[in-house]
Amino acid sequence: MAESSVSADQVLDCTGLACPLPVVKTSQAIKKIEPGQVLELLATDPGVEPDMKAWSSRTGNELLSIGREGDVFHVLIRRAK
Amino acid sequence: MWSGELDSKILYVQTHGISDPGRSATPFFLAASAAAMECEVMIYFTMYGPTLLRRDVVDKIGPKGEVGQPLRFFIEQATGLGVRLLICQPSLDLNDLRLDELIDGVEMIGGAAFNDLAIAADAVISF
Repeated sequence: MAESSVSADQVLDCTGLACPLPVVKTSQAIKKIEPGQVLELLATDPGVEPDMKAWSSRTGNELLSIGREGDVFHVLIRRAK
Repeated sequence: MWSGELDSKILYVQTHGISDPGRSATPFFLAASAAAMECEVMIYFTMYGPTLLRRDVVDKIGPKGEVGQPLRFFIEQATGLGVRLLICQPSLDLNDLRLDELIDGVEMIGGAAFNDLAIAADAVISF
């Protein structure tokens, strides 16, 4: 299955929020879904791509994809544990 | 004092106080980010740093003055993720402060404990 066809179990809208709120809210939201489920983060903070790569590698959660529509980044993350 | 329950430990050191609001919030930002990355995090307030924790100050100052969130927002963002706030008695004395004038939850340590935390940390970041 292509990553872009993965559908999110939960969407977290962080548009308009600045660093570190997208990371902070993602870390809280990922704990509220089950392992194996997918969280979609929507964010406009321009640093979200390197931040979510760093966050995922540190926490072990799987970064499935980062896409962009206009100013909005769509980040798909699968909860690992 | 580190629990050792998480893979990484970061100790931040804040030496700046209320006379330089632009330097007040960043250690809390970074500490919150680190805690969100599942690091164990503490912030040690020394020199003028303890003035940022005064309960009569945290709602009155912010990094951009009247614009944006007050300091309390950034402090609670960090502590809500488990970041611990530390001070020592000499830096309270320097600023003519008592522990009961600070926000709740601030922990008192001393120089030996600070050095021990620093030696055991994976990173010490000073502001």
